Amino acid sequence: MLNDCVPRTFLARINSATTRLQQICCYLLAILVSFIMHTTAAHADWQQTLTAAKGQSVYFNAWGGGDNINQYIQWVAKQVDQQYGITLKHVKLADTADAVSRLIAEKSAGRDDDGSIDLMWINGENFRALKDQKLIYGPFSQNLPNYRYVDESARQSLTLDFGTAVEGMESPWGMSQVVFIYDTQTLSAPPTSMLELLEYAQQNPGRITYPEPPQYLGTTFLKQALYELIADPSVLSEPVENIDFELLSKPLWDYLDQLHPVTWRSGDVFPASAEAMIRLLDDQEIDISLSFDVSSASVQIEQGNLADTVRSYVFDKGTISNTHFVAIPYNSASKAASQVVANFLLSPQAQVKKQTPTVWGDLTVLSHYRLSAQQQQQFAQLPRGIATLSLEQLGQSIPEPDTSWVAALESAWRARYAK
Amino acid sequence: MKIVSISRLISALLLALLAIGVIGTLLPAFNYLPVLGYTEFSWQPWINLFQAPELYSSLMLTLFSGITATIIALFVALATLSCCYDTRWMRYLQASLSPVLAIPHAAMAIGLLFLLSPSGWVIRLLSPEVTGFDRPPNWLTVQDPYALSLVLALVIKETPYLLFVLLASARQLPVKASIQLGQTLGYSRLTIWRKLLLPLLYPMIRLPIFVVLAFSLTVIDLAIIIGPNTPSTLAVTLFRWFQDADLTLRLQASAGSILLIMIIAICCWCWQQVYLLAHYFSRASYSDGQRRTKADSYLKLGSYLYLLIMAVAALALLVLPLWAFAKRWRFPDALPAKWSLDKFNASTDLLTQLSTTTLLIAFSVAFIALIISVLILEHKRLFSGKVFWFDRFIYIPILLPQVGFLFGLQIALIWSHLNGSLAGVILLHTLYCLPYVYLTLQGPYLKFQQAYYTQALALTQRPLYAFVQVKLAMLKGPLLSAAALAVAVSIAQYLPTLVAGEGRINTLTTEAVALAASGERKQASLMALLQAFMPLLVFIMAHFIAKHWTSWRLAISYRASDKNNISAK
Repeated sequence: MLNDCVPRTFLARINSATTRLQQICCYLLAILVSFIMHTTAAHADWQQTLTAAKGQSVYFNAWGGGDNINQYIQWVAKQVDQQYGITLKHVKLADTADAVSRLIAEKSAGRDDDGSIDLMWINGENFRALKDQKLIYGPFSQNLPNYRYVDESARQSLTLDFGTAVEGMESPWGMSQVVFIYDTQTLSAPPTSMLELLEYAQQNPGRITYPEPPQYLGTTFLKQALYELIADPSVLSEPVENIDFELLSKPLWDYLDQLHPVTWRSGDVFPASAEAMIRLLDDQEIDISLSFDVSSASVQIEQGNLADTVRSYVFDKGTISNTHFVAIPYNSASKAASQVVANFLLSPQAQVKKQTPTVWGDLTVLSHYRLSAQQQQQFAQLPRGIATLSLEQLGQSIPEPDTSWVAALESAWRARYAK
Repeated sequence: MKIVSISRLISALLLALLAIGVIGTLLPAFNYLPVLGYTEFSWQPWINLFQAPELYSSLMLTLFSGITATIIALFVALATLSCCYDTRWMRYLQASLSPVLAIPHAAMAIGLLFLLSPSGWVIRLLSPEVTGFDRPPNWLTVQDPYALSLVLALVIKETPYLLFVLLASARQLPVKASIQLGQTLGYSRLTIWRKLLLPLLYPMIRLPIFVVLAFSLTVIDLAIIIGPNTPSTLAVTLFRWFQDADLTLRLQASAGSILLIMIIAICCWCWQQVYLLAHYFSRASYSDGQRRTKADSYLKLGSYLYLLIMAVAALALLVLPLWAFAKRWRFPDALPAKWSLDKFNASTDLLTQLSTTTLLIAFSVAFIALIISVLILEHKRLFSGKVFWFDRFIYIPILLPQVGFLFGLQIALIWSHLNGSLAGVILLHTLYCLPYVYLTLQGPYLKFQQAYYTQALALTQRPLYAFVQVKLAMLKGPLLSAAALAVAVSIAQYLPTLVAGEGRINTLTTEAVALAASGERKQASLMALLQAFMPLLVFIMAHFIAKHWTSWRLAISYRASDKNNISAK
């Protein structure tokens, strides 16, 4: 707004000026002034935020099931304490939905200014629920200084979180992509599409499975299958209400009806999580595991949970990928500090550390070309774990379907197979 | 009377808490949840509930697992009591009870999971030599869709509890005399139990049986760890709905919780009717004069089952340290190939923090529950003879399903700013520990010969001094065991910790259940190991301290008085 207004008022004043040159000079001056005013204003705003943030505590509610991720968050806590005087406390969630339901409970109890959550790790359906219910603060993310490293056009998932417009209400943190994991000792040529997977299962009954929806990785498996089986994948970006779900999802159910009798435990039970899949792979109960964490296989080998002959791979037509974010609840008492933490999470320093395979291996949301040469080099020099794929090997990424597909797929799945 | 008014105040507070929890479940069940914009009462949540595809199968699973587990546990407990009471096995039986009672069921279930799964320890021990398996078989042993593994876990947990209650009740019956008399008439031991003693015992343990039944029908943590998941039992299904991102599911989850309460009531009622019927039809057989019957061998079988159950429980606990200290343990190795303390070292900070929180909560709860129980029992003593209404509602917390009730309380916790605080967790734990403390303390406390206190009061003229130094000191045995029980119950609490602690307050139990569900065996075993170890230690300590307290105290005071004497000289 500021950008637009200032030049026009300037123009009005100098209307009497005659020469074209003068006009151009004034034009340029106006633009310059407005630009300086804008950046200094933003700078002053951020300074204010930094001052307000000092001494505040941030309760960061984030899924706590990964040892390596928890340790990374501890590192972040140490950094923001040293750099900004912020106390960051990690509240480990078993499921992000817990935090969502707590926010609801807080709103119903009228606790509108000192909620228990200051920052939360979020995306997809949880984000939509909070945004729809107006339970998050914002827009804020585009004003974060480090947001300048993010190129929104680089990936659709940066602005459309499972089809929900982000609109600055959450700040990007990392990228995930589905990878499949197998042991080269048991399997020489792993199946690279859903149809090959079915064929493999029919030849080797009981050796294929996927996590149980609504566990998010399980739901992702359904989306991956749907993407490969559906005639026109572009309908996936439509809200379910606008299409004939019954008809369009039929190929998926036909596929699963064929797959389930030859899955692990004949489809009577499904593993609870990605970690359970890793365990089953190591016990050789199953032959292929999947993960949303590209470095998962390397990390698990390191921890002695998988053999060092294990490798990861992706399907030929690409795999589902998404962006995960952090958001600030409407009733956080430390909104300034939460923004500073969100900004720190976006910094090249924190993003390089996060992408280090021995730390976490989570892909960065920053765009390569917006970084300085030195920062680019830091990313380029990152070692890769023995079972981690490079960006080129990860290949094509498939965007998440609209959020509404999640609930539709989950309830249809449960209605069919969880009876 | 000060004590009476304090006791009344506490009772009123407890009753208010219960009421809030129930109302907080009832209103959303009828479509009233203003925060989500539901302000008009309607039957919609119930309609949605009955249209949910998983409801009926969840319900069947719940009924099957809950009732079967209770029947088996009761049968094994009765059989074991008949076979072992007053025999040389009695000592071992009693020794086996407290450890199994003390160990939190989550730890036991995690052990069972790692023992019995197709890639579990049992098959590892037998493979490949006996079974010929190089890879785990594609069998369904744990988390089976019929909930048999859940039934097993429940039986392991509940049989010792019922036996404990049975032993306490049997002491009030003339067991020895009955058996002697019966045997002179030529009746076999087990027949005497069946025809004479068990019918007398049953009414005495009816309430504990209902507690077991209610627990089995509503348990969350055990069912998450070892129960089936497609579908899960009703309590777990409701739990999932309460936690779902789709907030409107809360309404039908509340309706489901009310349904669960009704199911408990109906099951208890039916159980009683079946008992009356069975009793009616077997009355004739009590006096048919048969000296020994086939039923004797069933009872014997039942007591062997108890042995088997204990053996499985022992193995399940043994597998925990194996996983906790394994670095690499692939199928089908019988033991880990590589050991390491890495996990332990890497998580020392976390373990210390979790253990401190867990113990801090447990000891505070034990302390508070003891004080409340003593106050109320003192009140009850003064009212002897009349019906004491506290006795009636003290059972309600353990009979109500946790899943609806606690979510009903959640809003009240937030409103009072107790959510996510240690105080909130302690409050909810107290609600669940108090019944156990009160009930175990009740017998010995009311039996206390008040004359000792009167005498002490007459001598000292100091009521508090006489009360603490004489009455409580004489009751230190029961007081300490009640405290140990409270510690064990508190350590085992999963859902109350989760709801009141909101993830900010974590205990060994919440962490262990989360890890077991995620499948991280090493860390989960480590947590479960500590979780099992702590209450055991507390039980042993309680026993040890009660035994030696007086001699220690005397030794210290003698030394002090010696010193005084010396300095006086």
